[in-house]
Amino acid sequence: MKIDCTNLPCPEPVIKTKKTLESLAEDSVLEVVVNSHSSKENVTRFAKNAGYTVSDEVLDDGITKITIVKGYECSIATNENDSELLNKTLFLKDDSIGDYELGSKLMVGFLKSILELPKLPKNIICVNKAVFLTTAPADSDVIAILKTFEQNGVQIYSCGVCLNFYKVEDELKVGVIGNAFDSVDMMLNSEGTITL
Amino acid sequence: MIGALSCDDKNVLVGIQGSDDASVYWMDENRALVQTVDYITPVVDDPYMYGQIAAANSLSDIFAMGADVATALNLVSFDGCHHGPEVLAEILQGGQSKVIECGGVIVGGHTIEAPEMTYGLSVSGFVHPKKFYRNNTPRVGDVLILTKPLGMGILTTAIKADLLDIKNIEKTANILAQLNYQASLIMREFDVSACTDVTGFGLAGHAYEMSTDRFTLEFDFNSIPMISEAIEFANMGIIPAGTYHNMDYIKDKVEMKREIQDDILFYDAQTSGGLLIAVSQAHADKLLLRLKDAGYEYSAIIADVKSFGGKSLVLR
Repeated sequence: MKIDCTNLPCPEPVIKTKKTLESLAEDSVLEVVVNSHSSKENVTRFAKNAGYTVSDEVLDDGITKITIVKGYECSIATNENDSELLNKTLFLKDDSIGDYELGSKLMVGFLKSILELPKLPKNIICVNKAVFLTTAPADSDVIAILKTFEQNGVQIYSCGVCLNFYKVEDELKVGVIGNAFDSVDMMLNSEGTITL
Repeated sequence: MIGALSCDDKNVLVGIQGSDDASVYWMDENRALVQTVDYITPVVDDPYMYGQIAAANSLSDIFAMGADVATALNLVSFDGCHHGPEVLAEILQGGQSKVIECGGVIVGGHTIEAPEMTYGLSVSGFVHPKKFYRNNTPRVGDVLILTKPLGMGILTTAIKADLLDIKNIEKTANILAQLNYQASLIMREFDVSACTDVTGFGLAGHAYEMSTDRFTLEFDFNSIPMISEAIEFANMGIIPAGTYHNMDYIKDKVEMKREIQDDILFYDAQTSGGLLIAVSQAHADKLLLRLKDAGYEYSAIIADVKSFGGKSLVLR
């Protein structure tokens, strides 16, 4: 949440900051933009006195951005959830999308496209034949793609039962072995699950 | 800007040079003419109270010189679009009540219509040419007495923000409207070496005018009278820009003898503040008692005058 208190006469910046903070939940982050020394001092005093964590950053044109965390933490919480990842799970149950050779090409194509997006899903779960994706040859396109997901912080789980069933448990190239409980927990706790 | 003006006239005993409270113009061996002018924007909602406070603020400089008020002229800038004439009448009645209280008379004035409301007085008075008090003539060994508490800048800002309850608004307004008249009369009976009134530059700024790098004024921070609600609001960040300007301007003239968690009130811009009186140690306690008896209940001895030791102001 951000409020603009530039060019406001004293004591309006403090009053506006106070009212906005009162309407926010605990641990919320409020950014207050000011452009005078006295406003910056006053808003900082107010927030510190209320016990909140305060930091400020001087921007261009004499503008200062004051960041207030409505809570009693020692460090500033970031404004976004879990950096660049979406709170979504990608649930794969096959190593292709549809039949024939086209199916394999489609799966690789879809995974590659997801990498182009600004935000990636938090988790990828592979069950049944999808474990062939995570156990593909080391130099294959799909392993390279999945490794890129991993490097960007995406958690990749391959169903242990499935790995054993298809006897590829020693071929896992990317991610970790998951289990049904964790998989279901992940899916229920994400904002949405996508099945290809 | 002011420095570009000059008044080289042999009758001007106190003029623009130096930053004294009022001008002093020699008339004859018994009398000198004292003049001052000041006006302010509203600090409270009640027009009569505002008139009283603005008048007290304007009259104060006469008292700081140890002079007597003779006449006053009203200076009004009135927002007639948003306020009816009865509001103006109340402001002027408030002002007049204070002029009468100190034996003066309002002899005229001037009003203009303008969006920003201001009111104050141009005041003329008389003083003996050899018996007025400059603001920069304390003596080493003197002590300083302050007759009104600090915090008015912060409290008037809190009033603007609707953060003060009616009881505290009244308490603040009464302190603001209190004339320095009786204090001025009383101090003349004692061995006073210098006097100024504490207004827009805060205690720090006006004390600096008293010391001007020729004396060191050492303040006992805990002895300085302050309104406790002002300290609370200062913590909340209800501090006027003027106070920060004062701090920026004066801070490097101040030496801190100990860590003081929050010294912002030392710089708080006052309206209609008290007199800062430099008096001999021998007379200080008696003067203090007389001031308190006369209704200046917050009066206190707050500093020692020492010879210049590197910084003009010291906080201990």
